[in-house]
Amino acid sequence: MEQPALTISGYSLDYLTPRGVHHALVDIDLAIARGEVLGLVGESGSGKTSLAWSIMRYLPGNARENGGRILLGRDDLRAMAPAAIEEIRGRRIGMVFQDPSTSLNPTLSLGIQLAEVLERHRGLTRRQAWREGEQMLARVGLKDPPGMMRRYPHEASGGEKQRVVIAQAFACQPECILFDEPTTALDVITARQILELFAELQAETGVASLYISHDLALVSRVADRVAVLHHGNMVEQGQVAGVFGAPREAYTRRLVAAVPRPDRRLVAELGPAEAAAAPLVAARGVSVEYGRPSAIARLFGRDRAPVVGNRAVSLDVRPGEIVGVVGESGSGKSTLARALTGLNPFSGEIVFDGRPVRGIADMDGAYRRDVQIIFQHPDSSLNPRQRIGEILARPLRLHDRLPGAAEAARIGELLEQVRLPATYAGRYPHQLSGGEKQRVAIARAFATAPRLVICDEITSALDVSVQAAVIELLLDLRRRHGTAYLFITHDLNLVRQIAHRIAVMYRGDLVEVLDAQAFSAGPTHPYTRSLVAAVPVPVG
Amino acid sequence: MSPAYALKRCGLIVYTLLVVSLIVFAITQVLPADAATMLLGENATAEALAAVRERLGLEAPVWLQYARWLGGVVQGDFGTSLRTGLPVAPLMMEALGRSLLLALLSILLMLAIAVPLGVIAAVRRGRAADLIVSVLSYVGVSLPEFVTATVFVLVLADWLQILPASGYVAPTQDPLRALQHLALPVLTVSVILVAHVSRMVRSELVDVLHSDYVRAARLKGMKPRTVLLRHGLRNALLPTITIVALDVGYLLGGVIVVEEIFAIPGIGRQLIVAIQARDLPAIQAGALIMAATYSVANFAADLAYAWLDKRIQYD
Amino acid sequence: MTDLISRLARTPQGAAGLALVGLVLLVVVFGPLLAPYDPEAMAPLLRYKGPSLVHLLGTDQYGRDILSRLLVGARATVVMAVLATLLGTLVGALLGTASAFLGGRADEAIMRTVDAVMSIPSLLFALLIVNLLGKSGLNALLAIGIAFAPGMARVARSVALAVRKQDYVNAAIARGEGGFHIVVREMLPNVVAPIIVETTIRVAFAVMLFATLSFLGLGAQPPAPEWGLMVAEARKYLNLSPWMLIWPSIAIAIVAIGFNLLGDGLRDALNPRT
Repeated sequence: MEQPALTISGYSLDYLTPRGVHHALVDIDLAIARGEVLGLVGESGSGKTSLAWSIMRYLPGNARENGGRILLGRDDLRAMAPAAIEEIRGRRIGMVFQDPSTSLNPTLSLGIQLAEVLERHRGLTRRQAWREGEQMLARVGLKDPPGMMRRYPHEASGGEKQRVVIAQAFACQPECILFDEPTTALDVITARQILELFAELQAETGVASLYISHDLALVSRVADRVAVLHHGNMVEQGQVAGVFGAPREAYTRRLVAAVPRPDRRLVAELGPAEAAAAPLVAARGVSVEYGRPSAIARLFGRDRAPVVGNRAVSLDVRPGEIVGVVGESGSGKSTLARALTGLNPFSGEIVFDGRPVRGIADMDGAYRRDVQIIFQHPDSSLNPRQRIGEILARPLRLHDRLPGAAEAARIGELLEQVRLPATYAGRYPHQLSGGEKQRVAIARAFATAPRLVICDEITSALDVSVQAAVIELLLDLRRRHGTAYLFITHDLNLVRQIAHRIAVMYRGDLVEVLDAQAFSAGPTHPYTRSLVAAVPVPVG
Repeated sequence: MSPAYALKRCGLIVYTLLVVSLIVFAITQVLPADAATMLLGENATAEALAAVRERLGLEAPVWLQYARWLGGVVQGDFGTSLRTGLPVAPLMMEALGRSLLLALLSILLMLAIAVPLGVIAAVRRGRAADLIVSVLSYVGVSLPEFVTATVFVLVLADWLQILPASGYVAPTQDPLRALQHLALPVLTVSVILVAHVSRMVRSELVDVLHSDYVRAARLKGMKPRTVLLRHGLRNALLPTITIVALDVGYLLGGVIVVEEIFAIPGIGRQLIVAIQARDLPAIQAGALIMAATYSVANFAADLAYAWLDKRIQYD
Repeated sequence: MTDLISRLARTPQGAAGLALVGLVLLVVVFGPLLAPYDPEAMAPLLRYKGPSLVHLLGTDQYGRDILSRLLVGARATVVMAVLATLLGTLVGALLGTASAFLGGRADEAIMRTVDAVMSIPSLLFALLIVNLLGKSGLNALLAIGIAFAPGMARVARSVALAVRKQDYVNAAIARGEGGFHIVVREMLPNVVAPIIVETTIRVAFAVMLFATLSFLGLGAQPPAPEWGLMVAEARKYLNLSPWMLIWPSIAIAIVAIGFNLLGDGLRDALNPRT
């Protein structure tokens, strides 16, 4: 049998922390053949990134390896001296990183950063490396390679930068390339193009690829085989269709079940009466503008168009309805949320329960009580210097003014409603996990029994299993209280599971609003169609 | 940097100087005795005082006095010294030249010492070298200039007798002796700056060495030297430019003390003499020159930053 | 409070800073009681003595006990520095926070003026005020307080702006909290920590400035046992007894190092996330 490009056998890794030994990787076995793509999936803390650092021989000082081998071809990487490892990195193993905007040096031109790899490993002169670099950029599909070589990272888009990073990784025709979530920081349509480039180069060069991702649907599209990591243990490994289609292990089954599938609806459809009900909230031509040019800029005739937040957005939400808002970053979906909660001045009109709201001044106590917002990052939305109890008490004091004992009881109820122990009231936010913190934020939003809750990307910082639990909680709360949601997300699969209607936004405009069935049947607008086409649907 | 931004910065420097002159003017207005009394002494006759007041324009309302002074300044006339009766501006500019030489040499010496120290501390983070640099910098920032100056005089001038303890020689006269006389003042002024800047270089470099792009450079197989110099230090030194410019404030304060101790006829010593003699025109000119130096240094730092860091686009 | 101290003691800077500042505070409170001699008692026969069992740190040009002078002088130096820094912090924090809240043109005008005031070196500012308004301790305190205010205003403003962007402030606005609650309950606790750190470090700087003023003859006047003044007087007798110079210098350095270390330690200890 041919020697695999990369072989890991019996490999274990610990981190020594002040709180004791943390087993990051336990007895890992895997092999990647030439031309093969192995997907490595797992949630945060599963050890998938640690494995990448182990292969690259880039471990922090508190790492301890407990046996096992890492072979590149026939060479044992663990036995190599640091100088030999430097020769191998970039030449025989390449790596593509998650975020191209931080993995490129901001003060060096893209050309220098690409050419230096060629100079270092292929012994080219600066001039030769530059010419070779231009050819590489053409190969990764960049237009005007000579111009791109001279640009600095801030002068290129995210997709262009990631192409340059990929060009660096492929520059010396390595035997093996590690891809660490290479599309996670990109918008869906750009991500789709990067994936196509990956598939093309992979087929052309026959490199062995380790593709690390938290996104099971995406891995099922790019990988031949897949390995599932959980708490540092290799849970399951095999062909993609087998592992995701018929998982043998309980953990894999749970993981696969947590992945949002557009065809598996999680909510009951609205009845005809509900669907015909008068809107709870109606945005009528709501526009938000950011930034105006300064006096001096105008004086010098550098009148730039103000940055658009929203342009005349009109959208209804009926009582108890879930309206999904999707779009890429910068599409203005969060701006809409900020306008509806009075965080941004807006023009146009919001009609809430039949009452017109023309500006922030019109948002009275009743409006504030009925319309609540949950933010993306609980680390930012929960005050780090307040205990959970104080955080939950605030909306109660503002709107209900309960006596002390009743207030404490109500806080306990709120916590239990989001499935947290009532004793958490005495804790500080930093003592909770990410999912628990987001539950506290949900409890705070529900403290005033609101009629509309705006969820602004509330699960995008969470692992897929935690996300599934949070979504389940939200739907449960809606069943109990009849709350309507405006659910803002970039995750098309998720929103198709839970929304009754889906609004698509693009560069500040509301492109179209479709109900869920129509969305599945095939959207009409070309932008929506390209969006749907770019999102991988999970297999199995 | 856009022309609009450059214009705005120049406008801000003018505004800064206006505010500074107003503050100094205001402080001198609450003086218990006025300039005429100071000039002639407590025992002068009322007629003599009135005559001097008339000559100096002190009978006019305060705002008019200020406006007259400002009108002169715009034409380059800072008035005449109450102490010597000579025009203030030429004297102050000559003194400024000596102080700038002292300040520039101090900054050069500081950079030559602080950057390598900071780099060593960052690269050997958590090791003995880091600890030593850290302790030294805590001691350095905690010693006022007059203490370091006195200790240097004690050791280098009194005990070892390798450098002169005070005095000033113009570089045009005898460059070598000029340098010998400047050595102790420059050393003294540099201590606090070295301590401060080496800490800044260290912490910036530690951050940069932990950045994604430095990790990416290491994982491309770049040699440690290339990683440190091309990807690390280059980016770590950029914020240091701004720190050094802000430190010009401390530097100028240090220059005042050091010129007094080592008897260097620079702007700091002129200011102390002027303050002690309550020589208002000289105080005004000196304070304005100091504020202008600080403002120009910060403007220059912004220009350098924009030139070195392509991301920054001031507008 | 005990929690904060135990968190402080966990970092090497915090522990060292706590120990040094604790020592300094002890001397400030009990110094005059601990002093073995009258700090002003002259002894013509015991001049320029080096350290000995009788005079632990030696004697000065009038035969006065240096240790006693240091112990008694601590109050003047340290208390004044702390008060001046607190004054500067108060003025600066109010100015900076107000500027951040007002925003727009008011913010621009305030911060440009603050920048302008910052272009006068602190020492020059203090020299001007003390010498023109009179050489009193109160004037020196006022001068250093005012000189510190612009820097503190900058720090307070940038922290307030950063906190203002946090979603917990947005959440408070969205649920309809009044301005007072948002400022006092949501923002202030998060703004205060960095200001405390900055204030602590600035005490070190204030001690040095006070000593420098006295050294230049513009602060405390003889025969006060002020440390900067002691250094100034000792310079004349360098050849006779370097100890007269060394001890007060070390005293100034210990106070400054202590507050610098404590400030850096507090930076870690006050971070709720560590």
